[in-house]
Amino acid sequence: MILLTAIAAGSLAGWGYARWSGVTWQPPVFRASWLVALGFLPQLMAFYLPQTRRLLPDDLASISLICSQLVLLVFTFVNRRLPGMSILMLGLGCNLGVIVANGGFMPLTVDAAVRLVDQTVLNTLAVGERISSASKDILLPETQILLPWLADRFVSPPFQPYRFAFSLGDVLIAAGTFWLLLVGWPVATGTTISGDA
Amino acid sequence: MKNTINQFVLSLTKINKTHLQFVLMLLTLIMLVLGASAAEDVGGHG
Repeated sequence: MILLTAIAAGSLAGWGYARWSGVTWQPPVFRASWLVALGFLPQLMAFYLPQTRRLLPDDLASISLICSQLVLLVFTFVNRRLPGMSILMLGLGCNLGVIVANGGFMPLTVDAAVRLVDQTVLNTLAVGERISSASKDILLPETQILLPWLADRFVSPPFQPYRFAFSLGDVLIAAGTFWLLLVGWPVATGTTISGDA
Repeated sequence: MKNTINQFVLSLTKINKTHLQFVLMLLTLIMLVLGASAAEDVGGHG
C-alpha cells in the first residue's frame, strides 16, 4: 500500500512539476520491461492468486519469492541510470538480503505484530510460521532474526484505517519510485507544451 | 446513439503514444514494487 501510494504521489508530483515548469511530462522509459513480467509471475502464482497460492508448499513459495526478486534486481540493474532506480535497487537488495538470510521469507518481528493486529488475531499466529498463504512474512522474535534492522519492523500509525508493517527496504523502494516518477522523464529540447501526459 | 459512437471514436483517436507509454510504464512499475516489497498488510484486521 505504501508503495502504490508512492506511485500515485510520484505520478501526480511529476505531472504537476512538469506543468509548473512548462514542459511535457514524459513517463520514464524502461529497458527490458519483460524482465518485470517474468519476475513478477512466480510471485503472482505463489502469493497473489488464491487458486494457485494454496497449492504451493512453503518451500516452493520461498523459492518463487527469491527467484522473482533476483529477476527484478536484474531489471533494476539494467535500468540503474534512471533517476531513483539505484535507490529502488538498494531497497530491493535489502529486502532480498534479509529474506535470504532468514530462510526465504521476510521476518516480521513479534513486536511489530503486536502493534499491527489485535490480541485475538495475534493468538492465531505461530512463531516461526508464515502469517498466511498470501503473505511473504514469517513471524519471528527479534533475537532470532538475522539482519533484524532490515526486517518488517515498522508499523503504520494507529490512526490510519489501513494497517501495515514495512521494512527499511520498503521505504527505500517507495522513495526510489517517487523520485523516478518525479524527475524520471526525458525533456525534449524545445518542448513548450504544458504538462499534459 | 450515433453521436455517442462518434464521440467514443473521437476520444479513442486522442489516445496517443504517450498515453500508451504511460499505461505500460505504470503497469511495469506496479508489478515491480509489488514484487520488490515485502510489506505485511492486514487491512482492516488490525
